[in-house]
Amino acid sequence: MDPFGKYNSIISARATDKRILKKSQDGGIVSATFIYGLENNILDGVIVADRGEKFKPVPKVATTPEEVIEAAGTKYTVCPNISLLKSAVREYGCDKIGVVGTPCQIISTKKAIKYPVGLRHVTDKIALTIGIFCMENFPYNGMKTVVEELCGARLEDVVKTDIGKGKFWVYTKWGETKSVKLKETHPYEQIACHVCTDYTAELADISTGSVGSPDGWSSVFLRTKKGEEIIKKMIDGGYLETKPIDEGKFGLGILKKLALTKKEKNIKEIEHRKELGLPVPIIE
Amino acid sequence: MMVTVAHVQLSSCCGCLISLSDTYEKLIDILGSIDLVYCQTLADAREIPNADVILVEGAVCLDDHHTMEIVKEVREKGKILVALGACSAVGGITRFCKGGQMPKPVQSSFSALTEVVKCDLAIPGCPPSPELIVNVITAVLNGNMEYLRPFAKYAESKRGACGCDLIINVINKSLCMGCGVCAASCPTRAIKMIEGRPLVSSELCIKCGVCSFQCPRIELPKGVCQLDGE
Amino acid sequence: MAKTINITPTTRHEGHGKLILEVEDNDVVNKAYYINTTPVRGFETMLVGRPAEFAPIAVMRICGICQTTHGIASCAAIEDAIGCEIPKDGRLLRELVGLGNRMHSHPLHHLLTADDFIKPEEKELRVDVIKLIQRMRKVGQLIVDVVGGEGIHPPNIVIGGMRTNISERAKAKLYYALKRYEKDAYLMYEAYTELIERYLEEIGIPDLGAHKYPYIASHTTFGDKEDIKWDSVVEIPPQRYYKDKKIAESTSVMIPLYGGVPVEGGPRARMAKFGNFRIGGSAMDINIARAKENLGAVYRAMEILDELDINGKTKVTPEYKDGSGIGVHEAPRATNVHFAEVGKDGKIKSYKIIAASTWNFPIVEKAIEGYPHQHAEVIMRAYDI
Repeated sequence: MDPFGKYNSIISARATDKRILKKSQDGGIVSATFIYGLENNILDGVIVADRGEKFKPVPKVATTPEEVIEAAGTKYTVCPNISLLKSAVREYGCDKIGVVGTPCQIISTKKAIKYPVGLRHVTDKIALTIGIFCMENFPYNGMKTVVEELCGARLEDVVKTDIGKGKFWVYTKWGETKSVKLKETHPYEQIACHVCTDYTAELADISTGSVGSPDGWSSVFLRTKKGEEIIKKMIDGGYLETKPIDEGKFGLGILKKLALTKKEKNIKEIEHRKELGLPVPIIE
Repeated sequence: MMVTVAHVQLSSCCGCLISLSDTYEKLIDILGSIDLVYCQTLADAREIPNADVILVEGAVCLDDHHTMEIVKEVREKGKILVALGACSAVGGITRFCKGGQMPKPVQSSFSALTEVVKCDLAIPGCPPSPELIVNVITAVLNGNMEYLRPFAKYAESKRGACGCDLIINVINKSLCMGCGVCAASCPTRAIKMIEGRPLVSSELCIKCGVCSFQCPRIELPKGVCQLDGE
Repeated sequence: MAKTINITPTTRHEGHGKLILEVEDNDVVNKAYYINTTPVRGFETMLVGRPAEFAPIAVMRICGICQTTHGIASCAAIEDAIGCEIPKDGRLLRELVGLGNRMHSHPLHHLLTADDFIKPEEKELRVDVIKLIQRMRKVGQLIVDVVGGEGIHPPNIVIGGMRTNISERAKAKLYYALKRYEKDAYLMYEAYTELIERYLEEIGIPDLGAHKYPYIASHTTFGDKEDIKWDSVVEIPPQRYYKDKKIAESTSVMIPLYGGVPVEGGPRARMAKFGNFRIGGSAMDINIARAKENLGAVYRAMEILDELDINGKTKVTPEYKDGSGIGVHEAPRATNVHFAEVGKDGKIKSYKIIAASTWNFPIVEKAIEGYPHQHAEVIMRAYDI
């Protein structure tokens, strides 16, 4: 089974801008790329998951680097970014939009591009899609349960959440770090995620996530020409530092393992649903 | 030989044709790539001729004899009959029609074209975007049946449409992952994302079918799952 | 011997229509009937008992070309019924979205009529004119897309104002688009006027389609309820207007009268009432007035952008109470009028629409009468019906 989908290359990378690294997840690839895009007229608006109250993410059209930085960091709960696709073009007047999303959101965007039935004059303005690795997501109260009940942290106090080394991590503004084994978080996952077989956002221009790279770095798939171009410019301009991806067990190996785990597990789930006569996303 | 295309308007607002004309500078090229043999709004032909493709926008007024004649005619004369846009494909705003209005109080029953005659393709949306209409025309010209399959299925299923489809077919079926594309595509802004799920306002839904068509969890056509443009 | 000529269906206009012409031996039309054969979808009865918010969404779908004007008139009628004042910036954006619609609709009409005035052998000119029209429409539709949310059926026109303001980026984008439009509108006006003058000269009927009926107009760029004497407005069934039973039972429009007579609405009426445009001339004057109105629209749109505060409030939450109101908007084609009766439960009690074009249905007949039947459709089209 093909774990990653089509891609041209994969690297480990991180942003060089300390402002970004301070606020962002891992290597800060999404924030750095969007800021670079906005500052160099490659993008004029980006759809991101902003921090709302109590760590509740809200989709936002960001048009300045400051807004991108404000929104930096992964939120392990559903944030309907694609719902803003049209607003970005309409009242925001953007022509070159960057979209970041989970694999399913990238799939959704791709379907919109191919079949833009209800998206008049919108999809031609999507300039860049960045996908983030995703095993599954949590509904807001699922995430809340994990943070508050399993980790014992108050949501108001949370400054960052993370998944790594088999654990769900919570960092509070009081400097505390709390964690829980990922296994224990499974009951709080969004069930709809179990029909998805895409771990690495196989249809994005660029896909990124922490898995496969050392702490503070991100693994980055460059899948399309567009994606390659912007990353190359960033590297050349010193906005990103890179190193070859570790091809061993703790690099590409673990990434491959997780990608295949998601596929195998969820293909089984899809088959199971079919046996029960339940609908699954039809792929013909 | 160029593909002959006819556009026929039944009970509709003409918005689907305007949508096609909103291809702006490309319109001339599009009209140049086909042979538009009938389009009452844009050209002088007064009789619907035989055509490779007949695009029909609007619902069928069952209480109007003339309309019923046209419906028979388009099926007979069109090799490929396309129900273009919500009214023709799935009912759309005409689902709310109930008659009693002057000066034709007896005209009360409007049905989607797909419910009255066999259509080959049905395109939801109020209106479908210019880009989508061009994609469909191009796919028809190139015989790209794979691209057209979702529309063929819509035509076949003769399904009505409603924002409730999101509830029944996606949320209730444990398929909604909260991407929000339904909300973005809704032409009346009837959909808000609350707690990561669509909340459809029944006050604003016009039953155009766009939200559920756009949903990748109801149908994910194969062509979508290929990375192109590299 | 008089004869009857049927032109069915009439072409190059929205909707379905037919012309029935009683013609004298000298080809001159003695009596004209312009019959609208579009089935009645019944937007008025559709709305009764439904929530008021549904009204603008629904009535926009009367016409896919001038949806915006129905949305505006509908909201205005309901706001009038409940005494709802919309914020200044909402009011500005609403006028702007209406103008955007006019700036696409008028050129679209130039497209529909182009073949009346451009000769078949003038292929290059035709392509150039179509390109120019499409450039202009693109700007008009951009305004409706950005301000209204959708170029066709803009959902941002809501009871209480406009759903959202626009960003600085969007405002700048519209400004530059309007600058282009300004230039193109001049080109269009010159080209179109020339074509029409040539046409009239060649057919040798300088007053083609003239009539003696009065005009109706409430405003140049928006709509003003106070400018109309409502006691003088009636809408009568065709059974009362037409003596011929067959005609009366076949048409789908009611007949609106102002002061007991048919009145002409639209570009010429507006420019004559609020400017010094020639009255009583050829119906082709309406085409020229239409091209001229594109200029007024673009200037006013630029002024609105200057006045607009992008951080200003655009909408208030409507508070429903029992009442009835009138909403007026100067649609591309004429004065669009909606009457709404609303209950305190926020539901529509009754609804009535005098869609812009309906004013001109009886006028088209008058304008065709007295001129050779060969020109009947050209006259009808001048009304962009």
